[in-house]
Amino acid sequence: MAAIIDIAPAHSSRPRKATSDSLVSRVLFIGTAVGFMGLMFVLPLIVIFQEAFRKGWEGFIEALDDGATMHAIWLTLKVAAITVPLNTLFGLAAAWCVSRFQFRGKRFLTSLIELPLWVSPVIAGMVYVLLFGAQGLFGPTLKEHGIKIIFALPGIVLSTIFVTFTFVARILAPQMEAQGQAEEEAAMTLGANGFQMFWRVTLPKIKWGLLYGIILCNARSMGEFGAVSVVSGHIRNKTNTVPLHIEVLYNEYQFVPAFAVASMLALLALVTLILKTLTTTRRGAA
Amino acid sequence: MSIHIHHISKSFGSFNALKNVDLEVKTGELVALLGPSGSGKTTLLRIIAGLEFADAGQGSIQFHGTDVTNRSAYERKAGFVFQNYALFNHMTVAENIAFGLRVMPRAIRPDREEIDKAVAELLRRIALEGYGDRYPSQLSGGQKQRVALARALAVGPQVLLLDEPFGALDAKVRKTLRKWLRQFHNETKVTTLFVTHDQDEAFELADRVVVLHEGDIQQIGSPQQLREHPKNEFVADFLDCVMI
Repeated sequence: MAAIIDIAPAHSSRPRKATSDSLVSRVLFIGTAVGFMGLMFVLPLIVIFQEAFRKGWEGFIEALDDGATMHAIWLTLKVAAITVPLNTLFGLAAAWCVSRFQFRGKRFLTSLIELPLWVSPVIAGMVYVLLFGAQGLFGPTLKEHGIKIIFALPGIVLSTIFVTFTFVARILAPQMEAQGQAEEEAAMTLGANGFQMFWRVTLPKIKWGLLYGIILCNARSMGEFGAVSVVSGHIRNKTNTVPLHIEVLYNEYQFVPAFAVASMLALLALVTLILKTLTTTRRGAA
Repeated sequence: MSIHIHHISKSFGSFNALKNVDLEVKTGELVALLGPSGSGKTTLLRIIAGLEFADAGQGSIQFHGTDVTNRSAYERKAGFVFQNYALFNHMTVAENIAFGLRVMPRAIRPDREEIDKAVAELLRRIALEGYGDRYPSQLSGGQKQRVALARALAVGPQVLLLDEPFGALDAKVRKTLRKWLRQFHNETKVTTLFVTHDQDEAFELADRVVVLHEGDIQQIGSPQQLREHPKNEFVADFLDCVMI
């Protein structure tokens, strides 16, 4: 917002800053950025809601009030409820490890944390199929014990964990590194044990960053398509998560239900955006 | 409480920060660790506090005859004042000072009223009454320094370790705090070790001064002894006096 408001000072008495551009180039740059954003992000968002409400509120409610849809929403919530806490713990542990200790292979670990960002989610799904699928490495053993991972909840959770692992760790590690550990050391010399140190000193310092990571992790775990698509098997009322269900509906030409469900994900994205902005401001203020 | 440091060495990779250091600090003494940067003085202080561990296999640290070589910092509970204060920025001044008391095991933890009373008393002592509700970011450097000191003192430590306590302060505040610390020490007689690279500070405050250079103790003595009989060229040069 600040950037947009900033166009005005060209006429004001405020002296021009050495780094500021001419009015023409500013209008050009900002116009391009805003136009691009509008075209690429805002317009699709409007279209989603427009399509979802094509038959009005009743059509919208009707579209959502469907057994398979409800099941998909429920499954997605379940997956997120398992994935997010686990990845919060993993992320904290990884960030702690990277920021507090010097060890061999640290750089390797750091880039490993970012793996989900540069590996295609489809590959993440494929890996689990190759490991745990019927023809996979552990397939026969799992079958013997009657454990089903692929085409079932465990597979969906595993691949979601893979895809969303990075968020908490990646946000916390640089933050914790920058903060240093002087306060933790002070807590220790004052007689605090490891838990007290973490709870009373470290956690308050990183809480906004942690919250930010959790929000992003949650959004991605609810919205993940590729990795889940490979391991889920698209079984309606069984292994269809919300994104998969949207695809199924769309392919069946059920446009209003498809967009109605999609609007739920879009809403999630908007809420995430608002929370993200809030936590970022708080993080800056803290 | 006395401190015995016996054959302590510390290396970071191939760099030897401390080489076979022996040092004895008597109960109630005020001792300065003096040396140029990189001489190992802060490392020695951190090893005494348990924030750093000496190279394994040799050497020991004793607090009043008890071996604490392998004890962690939170078991040793040496009062430590950090160079940049390391105050808890999300806590008020009062909460900072009360921290050490609040994390005590339930069995020996004072109740809330006692803690409030102790905090008020410490605030009075550091001349910051009425500052209890402020946050560290609202304090000046000298005030932060005193809060850090009060926080360390709240748990009644047997030994006080100060890392460049006045390093980041301007000359005037420095002088006032120096006097204040000396007076405070005269009153309480808590065994105190402080690190400094400023010989004036060391000479004005300390009963004894330990001169360190490249991880080695060059000389230990009273300010007068050092000034009059520097043991080697480094000490003479560093203290800017003539070797006789």
